[in-house]
Amino acid sequence: MLNIENLTVSVDDKTILKGLNLNVPAGEVHAIMGPNGAGKSTLGYTLAGRPNYEVTQGAVDFNGEDLLEKDVHERAAAGLYLSFQYPLEIPGVPAMTFIRTALNAQRKLRGEEEMSAPEFLKTIREVAKTLKIDMDMLKRPLNVGFSGGEKKRMEVLQMALLQPKFLILDETDSGLDIDALKVVSDGVNALRSDDRGMLVITHYQRLLDHIKPDRIHILVDGRIVHSGGPELALELEAHGYDRYVNEAA
Amino acid sequence: MAFDLTPLDLFDPSSYPTRRHEEWKYSDLSRALREVPARAELTHLQAEAGDFGGFYWHCAGDGQLADLQAAVSKAVQSSGGRLYLDMSDVGEEGAMAGYQGEGRITLGEGEHLILLEDYSGALDYAASTVLHFDVAEGATLIRVVILDEPESAVSVRRSTVTTAPGSVFKQYVFATGAKFQRFETHVAHAGHGAQVEMHGAYLLKDTAHFDYTTRVNHAEVDGATQQLIKGLVKDRATAVFQGRIYVEKGADGTDARMRHQALMLNDGAHVRAKPELEIYADDVQCAHGNTIGALDESALFFCQSRGMPEEVARALLMQAFVVPVAEQIEDEALREMVLNWIADKTEGFYAL
Repeated sequence: MLNIENLTVSVDDKTILKGLNLNVPAGEVHAIMGPNGAGKSTLGYTLAGRPNYEVTQGAVDFNGEDLLEKDVHERAAAGLYLSFQYPLEIPGVPAMTFIRTALNAQRKLRGEEEMSAPEFLKTIREVAKTLKIDMDMLKRPLNVGFSGGEKKRMEVLQMALLQPKFLILDETDSGLDIDALKVVSDGVNALRSDDRGMLVITHYQRLLDHIKPDRIHILVDGRIVHSGGPELALELEAHGYDRYVNEAA
Repeated sequence: MAFDLTPLDLFDPSSYPTRRHEEWKYSDLSRALREVPARAELTHLQAEAGDFGGFYWHCAGDGQLADLQAAVSKAVQSSGGRLYLDMSDVGEEGAMAGYQGEGRITLGEGEHLILLEDYSGALDYAASTVLHFDVAEGATLIRVVILDEPESAVSVRRSTVTTAPGSVFKQYVFATGAKFQRFETHVAHAGHGAQVEMHGAYLLKDTAHFDYTTRVNHAEVDGATQQLIKGLVKDRATAVFQGRIYVEKGADGTDARMRHQALMLNDGAHVRAKPELEIYADDVQCAHGNTIGALDESALFFCQSRGMPEEVARALLMQAFVVPVAEQIEDEALREMVLNWIADKTEGFYAL
């Protein structure tokens, strides 16, 4: 599904990712863990196509297509979804308008019919209910004045409506209390399926108690230095990243 | 004290203000109007029932807009209290037609009027108009102005507003600029619970020039003034905002707030903002804020990452920037009309 080979990325002439290799098959959830500054968020942004993240080497294959060739919105329409660590506030745009614009833009690009307003309203109402999102909140400008938990729930709401093929969750647990973490994780888990892949970027093991990964990769200094099963998270929690950082250095 | 203003005389170039006049420093009329326009004939002057749920009054031409008050009286007595004022000037191709006019609207005690002024126009013309508004005690005047003129147009639209205690005057101006477009509003604020709001939004591209000049004089106690002006400037367009709030000695309890926010969408666009507060009273609350920035690139990426093509994302964010001005219009039909107009103007505003 997502196959990354020798990915090398610079931001402002500083090399952050240094030949990263990673393969996430459909139906699997992989976690990327690593210390601060290892390049975790850079990986998410690069895959989503953020400007100024310059790919100097390597290739990314997404469902048989060259991901790096595509514009940002084309990657989204192809089924890639990056959930932001800090979702942006969009003043003046009601959440509902934002989501509907995004959904119909994706559909249009895929040559599908746009979703009508009543159909959209019906769908969003159902999803919002499961995520404990009030419909009034959806009439407010997206994320403006929302709490950390509310912003993350809006991210999950968008995933559920856009139905992407591949999810990248960038530090989705940051800013969440235990109750919010459960709602968000349940929302993400509901999206697990045989034809969907996920990459969970996290600093802590905590999130992985809720979203159980099939594989864990340790990212240090722009490279995957170690991969293993879910048990790796517990080991990291007990011993930290020091061993891997020292090995990489 | 009411402001005494006459139309700028298009047919006497020696009367044109120059950039040496402080009030005209950023808007150079002489440069925009190098030839004296030919005086145009009065073509229409009528009041009739229209589709604005009120009355429709059309004027294109020169002279005294004498029948205006009759149309206003009809509109005020109708259930909606609305008047659509078609102020569109139709010029000539290749030659500058000159339109000059002056009109007066008086609202009696407790009367309520929603006025939609449409300055669309076509072809080449220069226009100079003055509208005088007298708003009596307890009366309400809502004024929505659409300045959607051809890019070759030169226009100076002035208005004076005299309020009375307990009256409400709200103005919303939406402009796309022209070769030269200046909209002036001079308000004599009566205080004693009178409310004045003068808002505006501008969407300028190519070489458009728009100048929004407002002046409010607070002479009495307990007057409130609110202003929110937002705009987008692209290409080599120029926006000018000159907002002056003058609080006379003794006008205690004045509450005046002015905000101007502009987005410059590329290098080469110009925004000249001159907010002024001149205060001679002691017990007042006055504030002004002015910000000029660029479109938030992170927000743009966020929108794109959810599937919006760049031009859709830009149009959405630009539209979002100016809609708060229109959202303050209380009349639902009018608000929707203006929101659609903004959507129409911002769509394709950013052609990549």
